[in-house]
Amino acid sequence: MRITFERRLRQPRWLSVAVPVGSVVFAFFLAGLVLLATGHNPLSTYRQLFDAAFLQTGSLTQTLISATPLAFTGLAAAAAFRMKLFNIGAEGQLYMGAIFGAAAGLYLGGTGSSSPFVIAAMVVTGCVGGTLWALIPGVLKAFFKTNEILTSLLLNYVAALVLTYLIFQSQSYWRETKGFNASVFPVGKQLPPSAVWPSWTIHIQGGVTVPLGAVLAVLAAVVLWVLYARTRFGFEARVLGDSERAARYAGVRVRRKILAVMALSGAIAGLGGASQVGDFAHSIDGDPNGLQKLGYGYTGIVIAALARYNPFAVVVVAFLIGGLENAGNTLQGVDFPAGLVGVIQGIILFSALGGEVLIRHRVRIVRTKKRAAAAGAEPAS
Amino acid sequence: MATAPPAVSMRGITKRFPGVVANDGVDFEAAAGEVHALLGENGAGKSTLSHILTGLYHADAGTISLYGEQVDFASPREAIDAGVGMVHQHFRLVQRFSVAENLVLGDRRGVGRTFRINPGAVETQVRELGERYSLGVDPHAKIWQLSVGEQQRVEILKALYQEARILILDEPTAVLTPDEADNLFVTARQMASEGRTVIFISHKLHEVKAVSDRVTVLRAGKALATVQTAEATPQSLAALMVGRDIEIVSREGHARPDSPPVLELDDVWADGDRGNVAVKGVSLTVRAGEIAAVAGVSGNGQRELAETIAGLRPCTKGAVSVKGKTVHNGDARSAFEAGIGYVPEDRLGTGVAPTLSIAENLGLKSFRDDSLGPFLRLGPMRATAEEAIRTFEIKASGPDQETDYLSGGNLQKVVIAREFDANPSVLVAASPTRGLDVAAVEQVHAYLLRAAESGTAVLLISEDLDEIFALNDRVLVMYEGRLTEAEDRESVAEIGLRMAGGTPDAKPS
Amino acid sequence: MNNSLLIVLIASGVAYGTPLLYAALGELLAERSGVLNLGVEGMMLVGAVMGFWTVQHVHANAGIALAAAVVVAGLVGAALSAIHAFLVITLRASQIVSGLALTIFAGAVGLSSYLGNDLNLSGAPATHTFSAVFPASMQRWPVIGPIVFGQNVLVYISWGCVVGIWLYLSRTRPGLNVRAVGESPAAADTMGINVTRYRYVHTLVGGAFAGVAGATITLAITPQWVDGITGGAGWIAIALVIFAFWRPELCLVGAYFFGALQALAPQLQARHISLGPTVLWTNALPYVMTIVVLVIVSSGTARSRLGAPAALGNPYAREER
Repeated sequence: MRITFERRLRQPRWLSVAVPVGSVVFAFFLAGLVLLATGHNPLSTYRQLFDAAFLQTGSLTQTLISATPLAFTGLAAAAAFRMKLFNIGAEGQLYMGAIFGAAAGLYLGGTGSSSPFVIAAMVVTGCVGGTLWALIPGVLKAFFKTNEILTSLLLNYVAALVLTYLIFQSQSYWRETKGFNASVFPVGKQLPPSAVWPSWTIHIQGGVTVPLGAVLAVLAAVVLWVLYARTRFGFEARVLGDSERAARYAGVRVRRKILAVMALSGAIAGLGGASQVGDFAHSIDGDPNGLQKLGYGYTGIVIAALARYNPFAVVVVAFLIGGLENAGNTLQGVDFPAGLVGVIQGIILFSALGGEVLIRHRVRIVRTKKRAAAAGAEPAS
Repeated sequence: MATAPPAVSMRGITKRFPGVVANDGVDFEAAAGEVHALLGENGAGKSTLSHILTGLYHADAGTISLYGEQVDFASPREAIDAGVGMVHQHFRLVQRFSVAENLVLGDRRGVGRTFRINPGAVETQVRELGERYSLGVDPHAKIWQLSVGEQQRVEILKALYQEARILILDEPTAVLTPDEADNLFVTARQMASEGRTVIFISHKLHEVKAVSDRVTVLRAGKALATVQTAEATPQSLAALMVGRDIEIVSREGHARPDSPPVLELDDVWADGDRGNVAVKGVSLTVRAGEIAAVAGVSGNGQRELAETIAGLRPCTKGAVSVKGKTVHNGDARSAFEAGIGYVPEDRLGTGVAPTLSIAENLGLKSFRDDSLGPFLRLGPMRATAEEAIRTFEIKASGPDQETDYLSGGNLQKVVIAREFDANPSVLVAASPTRGLDVAAVEQVHAYLLRAAESGTAVLLISEDLDEIFALNDRVLVMYEGRLTEAEDRESVAEIGLRMAGGTPDAKPS
Repeated sequence: MNNSLLIVLIASGVAYGTPLLYAALGELLAERSGVLNLGVEGMMLVGAVMGFWTVQHVHANAGIALAAAVVVAGLVGAALSAIHAFLVITLRASQIVSGLALTIFAGAVGLSSYLGNDLNLSGAPATHTFSAVFPASMQRWPVIGPIVFGQNVLVYISWGCVVGIWLYLSRTRPGLNVRAVGESPAAADTMGINVTRYRYVHTLVGGAFAGVAGATITLAITPQWVDGITGGAGWIAIALVIFAFWRPELCLVGAYFFGALQALAPQLQARHISLGPTVLWTNALPYVMTIVVLVIVSSGTARSRLGAPAALGNPYAREER
């Protein structure tokens, strides 16, 4: 008996949705086994998870807080991966966006309510910060053919060191120097009131707060979709992602495309960083056990892969994974060990990868012919 | 007295791939000591059948017997152990290894059986085999350093080293000059005379007549007939192979010296992928309505020349110009904006973006003109695609189908449809009919002729001398990066000489 | 003289570089067979945590406990790499995404963290650790004392591995076969070599090496468990394979070079050399240097791609039509 894969002639649409969904279900099943093996009750754990993520009062607000940065990093990953540019550096680009955005907020902000001008400045500088950081691996790839996976990834570690340095190891502009608490434990400067990003309340479930960042993320998704599906830029990017030789043949300026797409990807991630500062933290978090532990950049990759790089799907998946993360944070304790979220996400990604095969191939089980040692052996069917 | 069972006996072999039945109940038999040709056009199922015999593919139905004993190969390993060796069309050699290392790879008998490699013993055998069969090659040379003809020798040596009693040669002359092909025939006959079975796969009638004892003709997956070569004529074989009369398309020699020159290459030099110099000082003029055909064994710089003209490869010296205006060096966009159409040799890799749809591929160069500012106009793109599918009879499920699902012939039609749509002043066609079945080949030739008739300057680069002779107004030969022009009425033998680097005697005027 | 910064740096370089070396050797084997495994960081972390756990829970003398820990770490690494192997070899999924998934699954916010917390491993130092093998008197010999004789047994075993792998690849039949599989799986398949089996074996062995590399950190270098203790070493190891041109002997040189870079910051601190604002640079140095070397190597050989197995990263399917 052998398992063979036959290339499908047509890819059924329903499979493109069924497989990711199936992957998630399968992942929860496997993770449940892991839970069982380590002495936890999977069903009650999952029920608690769902509650904490979506059902309890205030949970949706929390979920949006977790989901917003994930949407940005997911979109950043999707933008690049679609063109086979493996930008693993969304993590670092997000930090840089946070640093630049916070600088704008600190410098331009003042008293009073949220100022559109200040916020716009933060948005722009956040994008710039992410773009600059992403252009390093971009330039290295475009001009020196250096593999972007390793370079973008190593820069994540460097960006993390910068973040920690700014708050813990120097008296930088971002660090709070006044006050008693500040001299005991290093902390970032609080953003002035006009640099705080607005939010809106939807009246369900006792009030759900929708931060500006979430809205911007959805906008970014729309822009990204239009870009790839309907513009010349997106067309060239898709051709380049499919076949570099065909792209050159079609007159695509490859170097410029690589730089442009990396810049775009970095900008989105950087915007996510600015949103982190403007929407939620209101200061720079340099604690190695804080922002750096959350792994938004890496989770974004999982989201993008699961969403098969479709921007709208990214937003939806980000919301769901945000719920998972939120629940993980809320429930953390003996019943819900830290790291479980990563385990589940990893399994989801594995399942999605495995399921991908089903979309492109049909699986057949073939009976191999028996050795015809004796005369009169039957021919294979 | 009972006659010995045939060396190879395949009965009722059937093999299906998604969307196509490659072999349909094929019966095939070959005897020891004979050269048996397997004749059929591209897509007839010859390669599939041989891959089944060598254990690479697994038949869906049917039986195979070697020397009377039924066998069932689960892997290539078992076929090799049973004495079946194959010289593939696309060599299965590890480029970075030496000749000796390639021979020794996977060897499980005798000398090779040890855990540690003993290079000395292999060397001796390589030299010995090389001498016996006039297949001399340096055992220490790395494969990438060898010429294509020498690499093929290594492929043959590999099979001989493994003591193959049944040797399959798959379209071996595609990469050889006429002289080298003749040497190959001698080697094949020598191997047969030693009692081996040589199965010679080809789609060329004159080769089959030259080398084989018997011929089995395949068409559309079925085995039609097995005949004694001596009793068959090229016409009877062709009729069996194709099933109808082939219309041989040929030019009437429209030499038009007064047409304006359209494509001009002035002392063009270009480098290859490995840092070598691939194109050496090529100067060339092609006039409107003319078909200039470049012959030559692949690997002599033809691909690099075509890429240089199309702007995919920068020239290190010299320039390409169209209608007097120089094309920006190494800039593909500038080349096709200047009116250069390019049908590349490597359809799936360069000519087409495989997972994009047919419509998107058809618009691969024109999308910039058809757009509304930064936005694509998808509606018109699809409409153009539907039109092209109709006009060029592309067999596809629709303009949205992914291109890599198309067969070779249909893929080529997509490429040609796109290039034609742009009304090019120059059309560079590199090996445009390679791997296509006869019907598709006819169509491609018809398009090329139509292009020439409408005033396009056509540069045809091909390894197939039949094609060259059928379509040309002029013949040029490329050898080691240099282009020479053949004189009027040179024969195949003389062109063949040029292809091997020689110069025929001047013709009396 | 043995206390000079240079000697200490080299000796520490060897010590710190050993996990890099193990991980790089493992990745080298996998890549030689054509499989790119980006999950090294994750496998190292799980190897580190499970090795640590073993040593805390095996109640026997140091030798047995440590040996058991190394074995467990290796098995765990191999088990993780089996997931990747199944996905990319049998199911022909994208090697890049699968490797990343493995890192996310097993890495600092995944399985290793889960196990570390669930098993309550942080806080207490390791019960047993690897210590120097040779007597103190030999360690005092000038120059080679601390560098050669001051190391633990894992270092010496790694030297054996370098030699072993070098011999394997260049002088044995299976080594020739695996090189063929990585260069041209079609050619290898035609010659009857089982491409699938070679790829599986080498990927799993590579995973085992990564697991052992992780255990080296928690058992020999920093004998405690901290979440994410590898700090990116797995990625440096992957880069190492590239600039070693896929040769084991060059992996050794590279690993010790980067080990020394990692040792730089703590050594300067120990000597009370104030770093001031340059602390950022010294900490970032290993990562930045890795990038620099990658650029140099990639641009120079981009054309001829000396060293990289030609089929690296591509799935092999025999019956493609």
